[in-house]
Amino acid sequence: MVLPSSTESTAANTVELVSISKNYDNFVAVNNLSLRIPRGGIYGLLGPNGAGKTSTLRMIIGIIVPDSGQVLILGEPMGRAHTGRFGYLPEERGLYKKMKVMTHLILLAQLKGLTSSEASKRAHYWCERLELSSWMDKKVEELSKGMQQKVQFIGAILHDPELIVMDEPFSGLDPANALALKDTLLELANNGKTILLSTHRMDQAERLCQSICLINHGRVVLEGDLGQIKANYGHCSVQIKYDGDASFLRDPKLVQSFNDYGNYVEVRLTPGADTQELLQQACSKARLDRFEVMQPSLEEIFIEAVSKPNA
Amino acid sequence: MRNTSLRNTWLIIKREYLERVRTRSFVVLTLLAPAIMTVLLLLPAKLATVGQKARHIVVVTSTAQFGESVRQGLLSASPDNGDDDEAASSGRNAAKPAPDHQYIVDVDSNPTEAERADLRGKIVSQTIDGYLWLTDDAIATGKVEWASRNMADFGERSRLSEKLNRIIQYARLSRSGFTGDQADLLLKPIKVESVRIEPGRAATDSSGKKFIEVVVMVMLIYVTVLLYGISVMRSVLEEKNSRILEVLLSSATSTELMIGKVVGVGAVGLTQVLVWVVMAGAFALPSLAMQVDLDQLKVSPEVLAAFAAFFFLGYLLYSTMYAAIGAISTTEQEGQQLQFLIVIPLVLSVTMLSAAVKTPDAPAVVWMSMVPFFAPVLMYARIVVQTPPLWQITLSLSLLIATIAGVLVLCARIYRVGILMYGKRATLPEILKWLKYAKN
Repeated sequence: MVLPSSTESTAANTVELVSISKNYDNFVAVNNLSLRIPRGGIYGLLGPNGAGKTSTLRMIIGIIVPDSGQVLILGEPMGRAHTGRFGYLPEERGLYKKMKVMTHLILLAQLKGLTSSEASKRAHYWCERLELSSWMDKKVEELSKGMQQKVQFIGAILHDPELIVMDEPFSGLDPANALALKDTLLELANNGKTILLSTHRMDQAERLCQSICLINHGRVVLEGDLGQIKANYGHCSVQIKYDGDASFLRDPKLVQSFNDYGNYVEVRLTPGADTQELLQQACSKARLDRFEVMQPSLEEIFIEAVSKPNA
Repeated sequence: MRNTSLRNTWLIIKREYLERVRTRSFVVLTLLAPAIMTVLLLLPAKLATVGQKARHIVVVTSTAQFGESVRQGLLSASPDNGDDDEAASSGRNAAKPAPDHQYIVDVDSNPTEAERADLRGKIVSQTIDGYLWLTDDAIATGKVEWASRNMADFGERSRLSEKLNRIIQYARLSRSGFTGDQADLLLKPIKVESVRIEPGRAATDSSGKKFIEVVVMVMLIYVTVLLYGISVMRSVLEEKNSRILEVLLSSATSTELMIGKVVGVGAVGLTQVLVWVVMAGAFALPSLAMQVDLDQLKVSPEVLAAFAAFFFLGYLLYSTMYAAIGAISTTEQEGQQLQFLIVIPLVLSVTMLSAAVKTPDAPAVVWMSMVPFFAPVLMYARIVVQTPPLWQITLSLSLLIATIAGVLVLCARIYRVGILMYGKRATLPEILKWLKYAKN
């Protein structure tokens, strides 16, 4: 089933935050934060607990208003007209416990502008897909936590929004359901939807996201394309298994240091050096069995970034 | 944009209404409450009449002839109840004068101290229930002895003395040479009838009926506010605690949610009251119609319109206040502690009620009836008693509507900010700060 897509905007970025700030009493939740979320794909908002992720998401969908700065959705200032174009899954899940699953989904979709019959059609499709068909006429309170979360997820995407905002979407899901959710998110992203998710789990973001924004204490630590960040960030190391001339290891323009483990050497590149150049050098000198670029994990990057003063 | 707002509000109203009306507890309460009320109202009266046997009393008089006339007087219906006019218009004694407490009356014309002792012995041994010492001497001194085992029935004593007074007055008059007709004429009670003068017409209306019209309003507001206001509060709290609000806020504004809630839950209450009124009408009207001239029940269309308007707006205002309480508290217990904010204005309006009915155009009453929290009761009372100038009614209504809108917007703001920073009940400075946050 192909879901009809709403009128697409031509703006390059689905969301753009221009130096937004939000204070609660004396606590600064978000501090002069700017970021661009490109159209399509999965964008991860990362950071430790209390970094300001939820506040940022709430400002994007307009539940709270920034004290200063601007939120642009599809190139326009956030406004009432946008509510139908995004779906939101808050971190603290909540549904009306006494309502039936189907009625509830229809209500959520109607609030986003769908007709009741269209909402019902789509709800049936999604319930079937996420294995909730037999629960559609049950009351929400009869469902397990995990199932309720799936219901809420369906509620967030039923109106086929261009932007799907999810606060910690995987928390509380068992592995099988997490997998189903991941597949669904990837499929939506491949269909051109923009998915913005927050998580404090770096490994998850590393596997899913094309772009990320790392925030800490309400400020952006790192932002951009994940591959780019990894390439740019810190020291890159390469594991090489070779046979022959090892002189390429002594080029200070490329190699900062190396460590011979016997079976292979681990090379730490000089900052700014290109792995491809090293590969060519090595190729020309020796016979290579293995050449593997070891990127630092997001977790390492994160820890290093936040431990740096003034990061 | 406007359409989205209306649509969202309507969707919320529909949800609140249908989800509540469809519950089993609503249906049970709606159908059962009138039955329980009926039982509660009828049971005491039934209990009082069940097991009441005819009371055997002895009337002791100086002559057998006078004793016989007392006997007949006692067995006849009481004279004040016999006045049909009064009974119909006051509504209080609407029931047809039932043959009074059943008595078996023996006449005893042997007024000696020995006889008195003998009668006392009979009372103790329960052969008789009581005696009346009605000798000429006793009548002359104006002190008549009523002796019985049970002294608790004040009603019986006053009924007896009323009857005896009439009997004795009648006896005195005929002894002085008046004929029966003349005595009747002299003893005929008079009744004060109040007439309300309004431009264009004069209507006979007892003040008792007016008071009842006002009291019915007060009772309805009281009961509906206390029964359903609390469920508005509960539904606000439910949303806060189930965290559904955050999802809803990504689609609808907090004002839309608030209006939807108050109106939706409010409509549930009105539905229930309506069902009850219809049921009461279906059961009670036929029996009422048999006893009372139906014209007496008729209320002028203006009063009816005022009733509808002030009841509806009052209900809306107080429900909105309940919603506000729900917005600032985190648990139901906290909310219930804050209920006094609603009960106090209600109680105050009731305490001012009699002043409003007695002096509807005293300046204090006039201005109090403009205050939105009192208007539903006081302005309505004034309209019932004496139509106030149109500008006053208009002003009172406008202030009421403006206040409802104001409270709604205010609590929508508190609601939105409060939900995102839950954890404890808000203090007043915090609430003020929240309102500032929620400005835009």
